[in-house]
Amino acid sequence: MQIGLLCALIPLLPLLGFVINGVGFRRVPTGLVGGIATLAVLASFLIVVSLFMSFPAEGGPQIVPLFDWISVGDLHIPFSFQIDQLSLLMLLVVTGVGTLIHLYSIGYMHHDEGFGKFMAFLNLFIFFMLLLVMGANYVIMFIGWEGVGLCSYLLIGFWNKNVSYNNAARKAFVMNRIGDLGFLLGIFTIINTFGTVEYVDVFKQATSLPMGDTTVLVIALLLFVGAMGKSAQVPLYTWLPDAMAGPTPVSALIHAATMVTAGIYMVVRSNVLYTLAPQALEVVGIIAIITALLAASIGLLQNDIKKVLAYSTVSQLGYMFLGLSATAYTAGMFHVITHAFFKALLFLGAGSVIHAMSNEQDIRKMGGLRKALPVTFITFAIGTWAISGLPPFAGFFSKDEILAHVFEHSKVLWALGVLGSGLTSFYMFRLLFLTFFGEFRGTAEQKHHLHESPATMTIPLIILAILSAVGGALNLPGGGWLSHFLEPIFEGSRQVNPEAFAESTIEHSTEYVLMAVSAGVALLALIAAYVMYISRKAVPASDEADRSMPEQVIYNKYYVDELYEAAIVRPIRSMGDTFYSFGEFAVDGLVNGVAWLVKQSSAQLRRLQSGSIGFYVFAMVLSIVLIFALRFFIRF
Amino acid sequence: MFPIVLLSVFAVVLLFLGFLKSRSVLLPATLLFLVAALVANFLDWNKTYLYFNSMLRTDNLSMVFTAIVLLSSFLVVALSGSFEDDEAAQPAEYYAIILFSLVGAIMMIGYENLVMLFVGVEILSVAMYILTGSDKRNLRSNEAALKYFLMGAFATGIMLFGMALLYGASGSFTLAGIASYASHAQQGLSLIFYVGLLMLLVGLLFKVSAAPFHFWTPDVYDGAPTIFTAYMSTVVKTAGFAALLHLLAASFTYVYSFWGIILAVVTAITLIAGNVTAVYQNSFKRMMAYSSISHAGYLLIGLAALSAQSRQAIVFYSLAYSIATISAFGVLMLVTRQRGMQTLSSNPLSNESFDAFNGLAKQNPLLGLAMATSMLSLAGIPLTAGFWGKFYMFSTAVERGQIWLLVVAVLMSAVGIYYYFRVIIAMYFRDGATEPIRISPVFRYVLVAAIILTIGLGVAPGLLQGLF
Amino acid sequence: MQPTQDVLIPEVIQQIPLTYYLILSTVLFIIGIIGVLTRRNAIIIFMSIELMLNAVNLLLIAFSSYKSDSAGQVFVFFIMAVAAAEVSVGLAIIVMIYRNTRSIDVGLLNKLKW
Repeated sequence: MQIGLLCALIPLLPLLGFVINGVGFRRVPTGLVGGIATLAVLASFLIVVSLFMSFPAEGGPQIVPLFDWISVGDLHIPFSFQIDQLSLLMLLVVTGVGTLIHLYSIGYMHHDEGFGKFMAFLNLFIFFMLLLVMGANYVIMFIGWEGVGLCSYLLIGFWNKNVSYNNAARKAFVMNRIGDLGFLLGIFTIINTFGTVEYVDVFKQATSLPMGDTTVLVIALLLFVGAMGKSAQVPLYTWLPDAMAGPTPVSALIHAATMVTAGIYMVVRSNVLYTLAPQALEVVGIIAIITALLAASIGLLQNDIKKVLAYSTVSQLGYMFLGLSATAYTAGMFHVITHAFFKALLFLGAGSVIHAMSNEQDIRKMGGLRKALPVTFITFAIGTWAISGLPPFAGFFSKDEILAHVFEHSKVLWALGVLGSGLTSFYMFRLLFLTFFGEFRGTAEQKHHLHESPATMTIPLIILAILSAVGGALNLPGGGWLSHFLEPIFEGSRQVNPEAFAESTIEHSTEYVLMAVSAGVALLALIAAYVMYISRKAVPASDEADRSMPEQVIYNKYYVDELYEAAIVRPIRSMGDTFYSFGEFAVDGLVNGVAWLVKQSSAQLRRLQSGSIGFYVFAMVLSIVLIFALRFFIRF
Repeated sequence: MFPIVLLSVFAVVLLFLGFLKSRSVLLPATLLFLVAALVANFLDWNKTYLYFNSMLRTDNLSMVFTAIVLLSSFLVVALSGSFEDDEAAQPAEYYAIILFSLVGAIMMIGYENLVMLFVGVEILSVAMYILTGSDKRNLRSNEAALKYFLMGAFATGIMLFGMALLYGASGSFTLAGIASYASHAQQGLSLIFYVGLLMLLVGLLFKVSAAPFHFWTPDVYDGAPTIFTAYMSTVVKTAGFAALLHLLAASFTYVYSFWGIILAVVTAITLIAGNVTAVYQNSFKRMMAYSSISHAGYLLIGLAALSAQSRQAIVFYSLAYSIATISAFGVLMLVTRQRGMQTLSSNPLSNESFDAFNGLAKQNPLLGLAMATSMLSLAGIPLTAGFWGKFYMFSTAVERGQIWLLVVAVLMSAVGIYYYFRVIIAMYFRDGATEPIRISPVFRYVLVAAIILTIGLGVAPGLLQGLF
Repeated sequence: MQPTQDVLIPEVIQQIPLTYYLILSTVLFIIGIIGVLTRRNAIIIFMSIELMLNAVNLLLIAFSSYKSDSAGQVFVFFIMAVAAAEVSVGLAIIVMIYRNTRSIDVGLLNKLKW
């Protein structure tokens, strides 16, 4: 088959699934809904695999033009897809993990009355995510970007009877709009500078620019603002933890594995621009490390199983950006992939726990679940092990690679990174121990109800656990497959800044020491958690309990939400009020005046429409005579 | 050419089908015929032919216009299911007349000779006189028919006088012959040529309801049965603009300096008259009539500028406008019928008012969505087809440097938003006693198709651009 | 028919200058327009329109014979045929209105306005 048709099919199949389930909502039998949705994504996955297999090892990007989309004056924006190493990787992750989560959702959601709607939205999300990843220009990426935002909004508020869920959805929406504004301005600047939005053309032109070009810096920073919104970086991160109000598969798919990594994808895609703007990379690095540490420390004291995972996601996203800031684009992508595996696994595991606990999410009420939920326990433990950066699972390799590059770049950032890694290990094992070890702390009714989840839920868990375990093999230290595979993507960057891509100067011995240090820190954190939560059987205090000052601050998430409320929302609102009372008079007067004028002239003008044929004909003749008079007797 | 032959034969066949007892064959048969004509239309794709002693021409542009006309009439016919319940209706005749009128429309699109233009205009117009008066016992329908007929015949007279003068000046009825005469514009042309050109233009501007020749439009659209109003405001307008575009582009480009400014002034007057008067209407149907005048104004922008982009802009705009208008009228028909049954009052004025839409979207989400989409598209809000239509139109004006016209157009589209949003506000934010309206499947498909087309073209306007 | 007679008719027409035809048919046309403007009886308005059409026919024939080009006369046949169709439809509409209102005064038809 032609590659064009295949490429078009990849996003079209989920769209078809969405149409079937969305239009036939309430009519497609419940048994079929899940099958249709999952098969649609699975089919896309298979196509992606076949494309991947047939893709030449060091081939350049293949552009698949579908149709002329928008042409305005000199600017032509075709609707085309770009298939290259980067988009293939993302496609594999999105459709692969997507398929598993669709499968899981069948088990998790099928009792819900909105099951059909839910699956339809998931399919729509996949469609937009694929557009985002496959698009050959920034505008298509933006369409996908907006689309996934919309789906995320719809799915967070899926159980929209609950007011706080609605608020969470709205918060996500507003925060993302701020980011999108940056992205949009970035696109406009790109159009202005390069006269095109096609990746290939933009980057070709960019490579001829000097290092540190100001326009490129502006573009890079604007795009990063977009990435900050979507990938939940400080200060636009607070929506992500709140987004956990959505159903758990949504959290796994959108808010852990795929959508939130879109920002990283964008930066990697635009790597030439970022390499050209080292200052932008420094900004990225600072924001990334702040995010990583802040979120990790908040995670230490959270008691909601999903909130812990959410903060850990924010923190891991920080790590990815940290890698990018050290021009370790491959390492960043590597972490995106491994993170997709283990974070999806952890979320799905958490979903399985919540399912078993009859919708209880507070880890203080859990405990000892490993006997009741053996599969969930084992897979969750693997995920925890992987995310903590302990060998030999996936997280160890990817995080280690990021940290190794950061070390080359800046020792301070590295140290902070290792500290964050220790924090991660601590709160993750705290979560694991509190949930699965010790005595059961829930009600008797819950205990009676405990059960392992059905096969549709455990199979994805097992597959993801295997991937989390062996995912590290993708890019073993010292020039693994992935870094070789992705090389063509960074050709442009290498051209503009060869030093950044020079062979690592660190000796192997140093590298091993670095690895040992980060693994050691993680292990220490593990032991600390073990001592605290298993040996001493500590259980986090209830919300009202007294806490020491720093604990209080962290427990309340550094009061960031309150800060935003006090520093931004309220001033804007009061400013709005002031403007309103002042502007009401002037603006309303003007607007109403114009409206009144139009209305009055309308009332007069319609009297011309007298209903009499004689008048109509007379008006016609008169106008003809007028035209003649103007044209032939009065020369102008 | 193929559609003309096919439609003529099909129309006769339909008249015979009318003898059958069962009326239920008629609708599917008509739809089938239209699809057949649409398929046949594209047989000559990418080729240019002259038929009938070079009287008719088919090229990609004319085929695209023909396709728009056929598509519009397909949608309109699909929405005409209510004839089956109406004792007094004569569906076989109506459908046959529609098919015959399409023959006229296609002649207007593809003419190479003024004779064909005249015959096409008359076939279309006479058919419209009949359809307007088809509600024989309704005085409003009668009045509309008589007004349309008398004024239409009058306009035809003026158009014919113009043609005769053009013939006298250039010695030919063919567009090429007139063009070759007009190409000597430098040496000076005879006065009767200019007079003839103006009168011909006036006749055609009357047909597309450009101000100040628009006075018939609100009354006729208001009085005619809604289904035929939908037909008139789309098919007739598209064909009329195709005819004007072809006439001006093929014959009169040499004398642009003569007619360009007149057309620009007419455009401005049309925009103002249509949009401003629509503001004060209480009847939705009458508002749509004024709105169609205003859209004639937007379409005229492309003609008054007559730049390289004009063809594409007019094609796109007429497609976007037709789809949105048909779906709006479709929803109006359902609402009017429902209100008629509910209140047992046959007073069409209250059943077609804006208030009739109060709270519609709550009980009938599909109807609400269809209406909202078409209103947004007509108002030219981004991500709908109407936005791109306006965008292309405005860019033709920019190309010609007619900035003052552009300013008028932008101001008037702001006015337009007011009355289009009135409907949306009524549907979504007002409370009304509407119950769920039963929608037949065909109706549903048409509305869904209209929504998809409007949004699809709004998201990917390039789809159509690639065609020609 | 002898060939000489074929040539004769245009020659007869050409004995009068073209401008006269132009003026005559313009005057006829304007009389028609004035009729449409001033009369209230639908039938008479209709007759005035017919007058306008016939002015056009006259003009076309004059041009046709002066240019020795048959196209103008063919056009006249088209106009006559189409006008006949228009007449039948127009009269049908007028009859329909007469049945409903017992009047064909167009001044009374002003229900549709504003």
